[in-house]
Amino acid sequence: MTSPATLTATAPARPARAPGSVLALVVLGTGCLLPFAGASPLLLSLLVQAIIGAMLATGVGFLVRQNGMVSFGHALFFGLGGYVLGVPMAHGLLPPEMAVLLALLVPALLAFLLGLVITRIPGVAFSMLSLACAQTFYEVVLKVRTLANGDDGMSVTFPARLFGLDVGLLQDPRSMYLICWVLLAAVLVGLWLFTRSPYGLLTLAIRSNEERARFIGYETVVPRAAVYALSAGVAGLAGVLATFYNGFISPDMMHWTLSGSALVMAVIGGTRAVWGPALGAVVFFFFKEIVGDATEHWPAVIGITLIVVTLCAPAGLSGLLARLFARRAA
Amino acid sequence: MTLPAIEGRALSRTYGGFRALDGVDLKVARGEVRGIIGPNGAGKSTLMDVLTGRAASRGGTVLLGGRDISALAPRARQRAGLARSFQKTNVFLDLTVGEQIRLAGRCATLDNGEEVLVALGLAEIAHRPAADISYGDRRRLDLALALVGRPQVLLLDEPAAGLTVEESLAMADLLKDLARRWHVTVLLVEHDMEVVFGICDRITVLHLGRLLAEGTPAEIRSDPRVISAYLGTAA
Repeated sequence: MTSPATLTATAPARPARAPGSVLALVVLGTGCLLPFAGASPLLLSLLVQAIIGAMLATGVGFLVRQNGMVSFGHALFFGLGGYVLGVPMAHGLLPPEMAVLLALLVPALLAFLLGLVITRIPGVAFSMLSLACAQTFYEVVLKVRTLANGDDGMSVTFPARLFGLDVGLLQDPRSMYLICWVLLAAVLVGLWLFTRSPYGLLTLAIRSNEERARFIGYETVVPRAAVYALSAGVAGLAGVLATFYNGFISPDMMHWTLSGSALVMAVIGGTRAVWGPALGAVVFFFFKEIVGDATEHWPAVIGITLIVVTLCAPAGLSGLLARLFARRAA
Repeated sequence: MTLPAIEGRALSRTYGGFRALDGVDLKVARGEVRGIIGPNGAGKSTLMDVLTGRAASRGGTVLLGGRDISALAPRARQRAGLARSFQKTNVFLDLTVGEQIRLAGRCATLDNGEEVLVALGLAEIAHRPAADISYGDRRRLDLALALVGRPQVLLLDEPAAGLTVEESLAMADLLKDLARRWHVTVLLVEHDMEVVFGICDRITVLHLGRLLAEGTPAEIRSDPRVISAYLGTAA
């Protein structure tokens, strides 16, 4: 009989990540240096928007990666983060710090509760249910004008300081860029660690073969709901950051077109790697800016690009990069 | 008197208007290797599904070591000591062999993953994703997942399906050896009669959802009802 270490000794299934880790550190460091390297406030402001989009796309992509589920309604959690932050702040319903904490928690909590029901249903039905849930909330914020001025949206005024931090930093492109960049990196590292954890492995197993997971003794609904909550929490964080930066909330934050854009970003970037959707979001954002300047028919160009990426690189840009690196390493 | 390892009383199951299982009684002693045979549509896989809770029995009772587990979900039955493998290979294709065994071990009261890997000859390929291993290795992995935790009762649905004659016989020997060594009661649904008559202590024959016969391999081989309904004269 082999030593009891057989499993652990043979377990490193995935290739060593050392070169990837170095590359990640280089990207992180380079990103941090950008504001100090003469980047214009306009560019930094665009990057802030792109990073916030990247966070939303990361949430959507994470759900695909870990649960194998495509959400058409993640804008719900993005918008909810914004509304739970903005509405109590505007109406003076809660201490501002409490509103911030709730804004970070409520999207994840709602997703967990919803997830206990809707993640039991696979495939297109789940996608439709996620869309239906999001549109329900969209209708509420659109129709209930007393909440946040309905269709017009609402400006949100923040106190000068929150948790001892100067709120002005969250509205200045340079400092907000750094905050968003570091938070995105933290989210990606956190999600990556989750995928490597025993619980992450269980969620992958459930995605791969739910019935088998049940027949080796695992409960499968809560882990699915937990992944849904985690992905919604990331989307909610993006919504909170967007609200701080823009100082404005509107029903558009929950509209299905935003969910659709996040999904397109995730598809372009690829969902096999945790960071794929973030890459897709940045590419999508700047591609949209550039093409949008050239033609008003930019959505058609995005659509064609999506078709090309899906056909030529089904694993998205991250899959393409991984293949290139693997080829070079070989 | 020793309680049976697993017992089914009046197990029934219908699909639409079709009675796949019709009042079947089954009693399997501890440590026994029991074969379940019968023509296609006899109710063999349905019996497995009803015993493990994958399909609900319309009436009837399932007892595991004397304990009524009829109301338990598949997961709870597994935790109570009832494991199964599937007719179609049912593993986690995206995970490595080692990862899935570790996952199964984490949920089991006894984590004997190392032992199972070695016993089933999977230690050498523990680092490979299941999607990249051969069909025969996947069948053994399927069996390994069911064996982690040393279940009291192991239900195997056509474990030799799709294997070559040599692989089937090797699988049969392995099963018999593991059942003896680890005191596991085995219920085996199988079409390969060489495997069934080679390793089973007793055999139950189902026909059209009902119990046709039950006995030792020699008794079953010479039972005119079984010969007529399933084995034919060549058996």
